[in-house]
Parts: sequence; structure tokens; C-alpha cells
Amino acid sequence: MPIIETFGLSRHFGKTAAVEDLTLTIEAGEVLGFLGPNGAGKTTTIRMLAGMIAPTKGYAIVAGHRTDRDIEQLHEVVGMLTQTPGLYDRLSARRNLEYFASFYPSIEPQSQVAKYLKIMGLWERRDSKVGTLSKGMKQRLALARALVHEPKVLFLDEPTAGLDPEAAGEVRRLIRTLREEGRTIFLSTHNLTEAEVVCSRIAVIHTRLLALDTPEQLRRRFFRRQIIVQLEALDAQVMEIVKRLPFVQDVREEGSQLILELTDSERNRPELVKAIVEAGGRVIGVSEKQYPLEDVYLRLIREENQNES
Amino acid sequence: MSRRRIRNILLKEWTLLFTDLNSAFLITLVPFLIVGQGILYIWLASKFAGGSMLTTQVFQTALQKLVVAIPGVAQLPANEQLLVLLLSQFNFFLLLIPTMIAISVATFSIVEEKLSGSLEGLLATPVKTWELLLGKALAGAIPALVVTWLSAGVFLVVVSGLGWGHLTGFVVTAGWFLTLFLLTPAVAALSFMLGVTGSSRAKDARSAQNTVLVIIFPVLALIGIQVTGIIWFTPSLILVLALVIIIADFITLRTAVRLFRRESIVVQWR
Repeated sequence: MPIIETFGLSRHFGKTAAVEDLTLTIEAGEVLGFLGPNGAGKTTTIRMLAGMIAPTKGYAIVAGHRTDRDIEQLHEVVGMLTQTPGLYDRLSARRNLEYFASFYPSIEPQSQVAKYLKIMGLWERRDSKVGTLSKGMKQRLALARALVHEPKVLFLDEPTAGLDPEAAGEVRRLIRTLREEGRTIFLSTHNLTEAEVVCSRIAVIHTRLLALDTPEQLRRRFFRRQIIVQLEALDAQVMEIVKRLPFVQDVREEGSQLILELTDSERNRPELVKAIVEAGGRVIGVSEKQYPLEDVYLRLIREENQNES
Repeated sequence: MSRRRIRNILLKEWTLLFTDLNSAFLITLVPFLIVGQGILYIWLASKFAGGSMLTTQVFQTALQKLVVAIPGVAQLPANEQLLVLLLSQFNFFLLLIPTMIAISVATFSIVEEKLSGSLEGLLATPVKTWELLLGKALAGAIPALVVTWLSAGVFLVVVSGLGWGHLTGFVVTAGWFLTLFLLTPAVAALSFMLGVTGSSRAKDARSAQNTVLVIIFPVLALIGIQVTGIIWFTPSLILVLALVIIIADFITLRTAVRLFRRESIVVQWR
């Protein structure tokens, strides 16, 4: 069941288009990674979907609410983690959460606050002033704030930006836990590894939507599947046999490795291994060549820049 | 729900207000300065100018109106008539306390949240604009009002201490109570509402402060109008004035809600 639907969603600031004709559907329980360079419209999209700013064209429906009309009801069912934690430094962690929780009619603030302080690992520091917490702790507290009213959709705007690797890892672990709980998460990030680790689908935006698919499908869109056969040693006889196999479309050698493109990578793999072994080759391992998501992303952005110019 | 939200805004604002030394100092210092200054001027006038001040045309007119309002004053010696005239201005003089505090406290309320980024998180909650603005305005206006009332009490104690206690019967009239308990809350609410409005529109606290400055001039004008005898504010006139300001409070809140542009705040403050 779709929980986020956008229909030609656009936002212009004066004559500048921040987001243009964005149409996408996100299913309940999905974690969507929203990637794009600086100024690509990621934050503007999140703000439109969270009912913080209105679109100049098109519309969006989030958890059953029009984001440009039912704003108050929408705010009861969405949670938002902004780029800066935006907490009150002179208030304690608990008091900060209680304050924000008090605006939601459907929850019991104190028990919810206790629950999320514990989940975020901040229970021991509940009475510490926020100003004394580390950056990572503040970010976890801000994440607790976004979750305290049990939102149906969670918008995370660069949740690990500016955090050290340990703190970023901790935030990522929490996002993965939320994914396992079946939460719908809209994650804007610059970090491609993060997107790959936590997201079920990836959207790449550069003012307009360039691609939307699973990381695997995005890879296949740009790169053909390649099989790597690691051999103890590569000799001419093995190479000759492999080249003659009818399902081998392309083969090249890299040290003691064979890099192959097969007609059907799944079905042809056992026959390939058998042929190599029969030709006297000693196979150490067979794997699929993994192109990093970064390559896909860079290619998409490069193509878009070329189209623009 | 609205009451719960406004109460929470109030409590949060108070925690922040009273854990900030500058604000706490200001709320204590401003009333002290205003009461001290007022009493000092009255004491200097009575000590060095005395009843001779009443021979000027300006004070003659004011005194005539005072005598009409409080006939018993006519029986007092000239020096004490002057004292009653000056002490009677003090309830208006006290109106400066909430306005001064508003200039410093209310004008920071939204600007500070814009700068810290907490406002975006707050605007992502279902809080209504009027709840936010009213909560913030009341959070400043209530302590300002309390210190104004305390200052009035301190004033009466000091007046008695200076040996003018027998004159308080001419000063603490129905008009005094109406000013203190109806006009002052209305002016305090207006000052803080203007401060919060300015704060929501301004890019920094300084430009927000200019918005509240507009209310100081009418307050000073009230004192000027009465002390020069142009108008003597009788209880009924004070009541009318208070009602006009209460209406202005509601108009200001409505205007503030319209002027509060969530979108500009979110987009322009990052």
C-alpha cells in the first residue's frame, strides 16, 4: 500500500526550480534513500512532503493527507529529523523530548519519552543538559524527538552529516533497527554507502528525478553483470577453452582472475566452473563483480549534467 | 489540547528564561531602576522645587483636574498637593516595566529559536501558530506583570518610608487599581505580542526591538498628558483605555498569526 505518493510535485523559488515534476510512490514499510548533489532539491522535497513548505505545482499525499492542505493532521503522523538537531541546549534531554511530545494529542508524553530515551541509549544522560551532550548524542536525541509520537512516516534529512564515524555508525544502526520494525523512512543522504546499507530503494534527484530503483537494479541499468573466477594460476589452455564456450560473451584476464560476461550468469556458472576444472584449472572462488553505488550515482549525475549543457 | 500546548510553551520558556542570567538579571533590574528613578525624581522635585512648581501654568491646570477628581487634595498644603500630583503619575510610570522587559525578552524569543534551528523542529509538530505566539507572549508578559505588581507594592512601602504615607489615600484610588490590574496586563500583553511579532518577522533581535519601541511612546504620552493637565485619567477613562488596549491585544494576535510565515522561516533560516 503506498504511503507516499507525489504527482508532478514542483517547487520554484522565484525563477529557480528547486524540484521539478517529481512523481514517485513509496510503499509502507519501505526505506527510500534520496540521493543527489548539494542543491539538488532533497531538503526542499522533504519539506514539501512534511508539510513545511507548499509546492508551487503538483501535490503529494503522505499517510493519507494532502501535504499542502491537511497540515496539522499530517504533522501528527510524520516525524522529521532536520539537518541541525535544533534542540534547547539549556534544557535536559528528557525535558526537550517532553516538550516536543506535549504537542501530540494521541500519546502519553512521559512513557513515550522514557521509551525513546532508552532505545537511543540516552537514559543514563536523561537529566543532562543538551548543551553538555556530544554531537552524536544530540543527533540520537533529535532522532528520538522525530519518533516520540510514533509517526507513520519518518523523514531524515542527512542524519549522519557532520558526525564522526562511530557516531554515524550508531545512527545508522538505529535506522536499520527502525527498518526492521517496518517503519517507512525517507532518508536524504550524501553518503552512498549509508544509502546502500539501509535503503531498499534509491531515488537519485537533480532537481528532477533521475532514477528510482533498488541498488541492484540501478547497477544493472548501467553495468552488465560480470563474473570473476579466481584461479590458482591462469594458463593459456584454460583461457582457450573458456573463450570457446558458447555462453561466454566476453572474457578478459586480470592476473590470475578471469572476468567474464555470460549469457545467463546464474545458469551458466556451474558449466563454466566444470569446463575450467576439466581444462586443468584450479578454481579458488567464483563471485560477481560488484560496482559501487557511487559509480552508478556519478554516472547518473554526469549524464544529467551533459544533458543540461 | 490548546491549553496543554500553551502551558508547555510557557513552562519551557520560563525554564529557559530563568536559567539565563542576563534575562533573570534584566527582569530584576528594570523594575528596580524604574521604581527607584520615579521616586528619586519625585523626591528631588518636592525637596528642591516644592510647592513653587505649582505656580507654573502647566501644573496649575493639572492640579485643578486632580482636585476635581479627588476633592480632598484641595485641603492639603501646596507641597503635598505637588506630591500627590506627582505620585499619581506613578501607576502610568509602572507601565514602562512590562514594555521595557518586552523589548529585551520577547524580541529574542523567536529569533533565538530561528538561529538555533529549534523552530523548524517545533513547526514540524502539530502546534498552531496562535498557540505558539500566545504561549511565547504570555511567557514573558506574566513575569513582567508580577514584577510590576511587586514594584507597585515596593513603591507604596518606600512612599510610606519617606514620610508620605498619609498621602497614599489620595494616590491609591479606584483608578490606581484599574491601571494596575486591568490596564497593565493589557499593556503587558500588547508589548509582548508586538515583541513576538517583531521577532517572528525580523532577521535579528535588534530589528525586532524597534517594533516594541512603538509602545513606549504612547506610555510616555499618557504620563505627559496627565501631568500637564491635558486630560486627567479618571477611573472610567482608564477603563475605556484598558478596553481599547484589550481589543488591540486580540487584533495584534490575529495580525501576528497572519504575519507569521512558517515557510519563510523554514526556508530562510538554516
